[in-house]
Amino acid sequence: MAVAQFVVNGLLVGALFASIAVGFALIWGVVEIINLAHGEMVMLGGYVSYWTVRSVAGEGAVSPVVALASVPVALVVLFVVGYGLQRFVVSRVTGTDLFLTLLVTFGLSIVIQQLALQAWSADPRTVAVQFTPQSFDVGGVFVPKTKLLAFVGAIVLTVLLWAFLRYTRRGRAIRSVAQNPDAAALLGIDVEHTRALTFGLSSAIAGGTGAFIGMILFVQPQMGLIYTLKSFVIVVFGGIGSVPGALLGGLLLGSVEELTAGLVSSQWTLAVSFGLLIVLLVVRPKGLFGRGVEGEP
Amino acid sequence: MSSADDENAGVSADAATADTDVGDRLLWTEGLTKRFGGLTAVDAVDLEVRTGEIVGLIGPNGAGKSTLFNCVTGTLTPDAGRVFFRGDDVTDWPEHRLARSGLSRTFQQTRVYGGMTVRKNVLVSARTDRGFVASMRRPSGAAREKAEDLLRYVGLWELRDVRAGRLSFGQQKLLEFAMGLVTDPDVLLMDEPAGGINPSMLNMLIDHIRDANESREVTILLIEHNMDFVMDVADRIYVLAHGEEIAEGTPAAIQNDERVLDAYLGRE
Amino acid sequence: MTRYAAGVLEFADAHGWKIIAVLAVVGALPPLFGLEGGFYMTVATLTLMFGVLALSWDLIGGQTGYPSFGQMGFFGLGAYTTAILVKDQAVAFPVAFLVAGVLATLAAGVVGLIVLRLRGGYFAIATLGILLVAQQVSRNLEVTGGSSGKILLDVPPATTFYYVLLGLLVAEVAVVYYLTGTRFGYVLNAIRDDEGKATSMGVNTTYYKTAAWMLAALFTGLAGGSWSLFNTFVDPNTAYNLSWNVEMIAMALLGGTGTVAGPVLGAFGLHLTIVFIQSVSLDVTLPLLGPTTINFAGWQLVLLGLVVIVTVVSYPQGFVGELRERASAMEYYRHAGGAAGQETSHDETASPDGGERT
Repeated sequence: MAVAQFVVNGLLVGALFASIAVGFALIWGVVEIINLAHGEMVMLGGYVSYWTVRSVAGEGAVSPVVALASVPVALVVLFVVGYGLQRFVVSRVTGTDLFLTLLVTFGLSIVIQQLALQAWSADPRTVAVQFTPQSFDVGGVFVPKTKLLAFVGAIVLTVLLWAFLRYTRRGRAIRSVAQNPDAAALLGIDVEHTRALTFGLSSAIAGGTGAFIGMILFVQPQMGLIYTLKSFVIVVFGGIGSVPGALLGGLLLGSVEELTAGLVSSQWTLAVSFGLLIVLLVVRPKGLFGRGVEGEP
Repeated sequence: MSSADDENAGVSADAATADTDVGDRLLWTEGLTKRFGGLTAVDAVDLEVRTGEIVGLIGPNGAGKSTLFNCVTGTLTPDAGRVFFRGDDVTDWPEHRLARSGLSRTFQQTRVYGGMTVRKNVLVSARTDRGFVASMRRPSGAAREKAEDLLRYVGLWELRDVRAGRLSFGQQKLLEFAMGLVTDPDVLLMDEPAGGINPSMLNMLIDHIRDANESREVTILLIEHNMDFVMDVADRIYVLAHGEEIAEGTPAAIQNDERVLDAYLGRE
Repeated sequence: MTRYAAGVLEFADAHGWKIIAVLAVVGALPPLFGLEGGFYMTVATLTLMFGVLALSWDLIGGQTGYPSFGQMGFFGLGAYTTAILVKDQAVAFPVAFLVAGVLATLAAGVVGLIVLRLRGGYFAIATLGILLVAQQVSRNLEVTGGSSGKILLDVPPATTFYYVLLGLLVAEVAVVYYLTGTRFGYVLNAIRDDEGKATSMGVNTTYYKTAAWMLAALFTGLAGGSWSLFNTFVDPNTAYNLSWNVEMIAMALLGGTGTVAGPVLGAFGLHLTIVFIQSVSLDVTLPLLGPTTINFAGWQLVLLGLVVIVTVVSYPQGFVGELRERASAMEYYRHAGGAAGQETSHDETASPDGGERT
């Protein structure tokens, strides 16, 4: 049942794509910028987790508890980083030409990447998590426990974010800024702070996911761009405002990738993903669930 | 500039007899309908503009006037009905094709090319030099003359090398008007030409519109909210409310029409 | 400063063609006076190449308003074309060079059908996607040598490439300069400023956008075609160099998008600065680390990123753009209160086309 294995693999990793994409969608919807540095938040989160685990438990594999404990650390650190980036850099170009915001965030991504490269070298790092046995066997399909942990973790993060947006005051403030910044300001909402908050939350969830990625794959300084682009594919597919759309999109993308890798060759996965991006842009720029971007009148 | 003077000299001086110069129908719609989801913005409108006329289109806010314009120009695709221009069914024509056939328009928000100089704004709109291959040449003498003529006419010649984005709102409106005229249109659709204009300038605007109509032989269909303005300049008026045409006639007739008063004062 | 700016611009607008000719001649001199190979030749050749790239990007990005994030896709296509033809098919370089240009232009035509329908951010990401697909495809195909790429041995001498790229730059500057004075150029700017308005004024924007896009691809492809042989090596990472992709945008931005001189000046300035920084090493004594040599070799990308950020945030108009802005402001205030009909001062010495071409 090779296909089933591929699909399961795809779903497991797809949840991670989804949680990253949700953050990306949030920034796009609320701050109205396409954040090309989003993947770098994932990367940084992975490194934060790695170094946390290393400093606590040294070299070698660690227990799931220790690994999990590094996730909140990543969440907090990346929240601060994201908040700061928006407040002090990106806010200066919010509201101008979209192209300029793309360029600024691209510039940021380069700076962050290169600094990471200088600081930590290009060697891939992994957080090896100790499970015995390493996987479940579900009717012939192997479900690695680490991947399952990551899957659950990503879903939890996504649901938490969704609940926050839905049920808390701050969350509602964020959604109102997304819909109508001027009206929100009139209601007394500090729009700048809300935008920075959003960027922070987004980066946090990206960083947390990065921590999980470090457990199932590895982290290295230049991994970010690919996740940014996958997020773009997912958000274009699922719609800018939609969390369910991003979730579905992520799971689908993961499955498509794993199927490609399994049935064709892993060399072609990225080509397929990027190809999908272009197809989607042409065919469904509004996405399945959410609203599209305002075009010309 | 010489060309404008020549045209002025040849035409009869009677503004009052403008009606008698009116010819056949030039631009008309049949049952034009446009819906947005559950809302019918334009509801089976039959509208007709005859050569040489100045026709006004009025109605309360949200009556569907700009939408009607957009359906006529090809910016939006109507859900039902047809648009005719000079005898051709132009309903499915792409916007740029219709614009090149002699139908020009100005916008409510006044759109000009902000990054380019005033002069280039007019030059790029000129009717001469059109055509993809022809565009690979420098603007011809004819185009440049026409541009200068029109810029002097609207009083923007002094500002010809200024970036259009720097102009004041009123100046941009004049520029847009000049751009509309330089295309040498048969029909000019104007969306709220008096919007945001200083009351003291309104008379000048009325003169410009009348002059375009008489000496440059441009038929005009305009949307307006300023009642005094429209009653003064239009030969005939259509009234739209909730997407439907509720009245049509001369300014005098419209002013006394019960249905029109109801629509504006909300008595339904 | 403002009067100086207006003066410089007026001079440049009035004598454009002469300036181009003079610069072409000046550019041709270095190899005749000793520049033959080695480090400085490489620097000079690459500087010229970046001039071509930045100007190409600006044609579609700055003049037409379609900022491509995938221009290097055409570069790579050109690079691989000449590499494959010269190495595997024993085609002479000049022929391969032309084929590279033709292929890049055709590819642009096809790709343009898809991407030019998109706007703004979507367009940018789609072009980035295309670049990455191209890179992945090159990585996976045999004919391109897969991830290892191709090594080219029997190549023309360095001076050839210097002149090829000089010629390419002069040709491109001439073409773009000419076009900015034609209605074609005006239409591109109109599309940039308000595409909907242009359409409503009768412009079939598809033709014009596609033409600009294909022209930009032509020059980029030709640049790539020369580069692969000059470099004697091509592989997916270098042919579709992602940091050059951003660099050319930064160069156009720094110099001033939508102008002719801007991207070229930006390219020269930024590239030479980066080369300089890379060659600098400082011997310092740092606390904790003791005596260290700080080598900036790895840092040029950080610098690039910072340059991009600072430029976008503080100087989005770029150098030439700032000059133009000040000159335009001056022009407006000179005719201030120049409300309709009022005559204030005359300047009949302004050029008949309204200048504004540099």
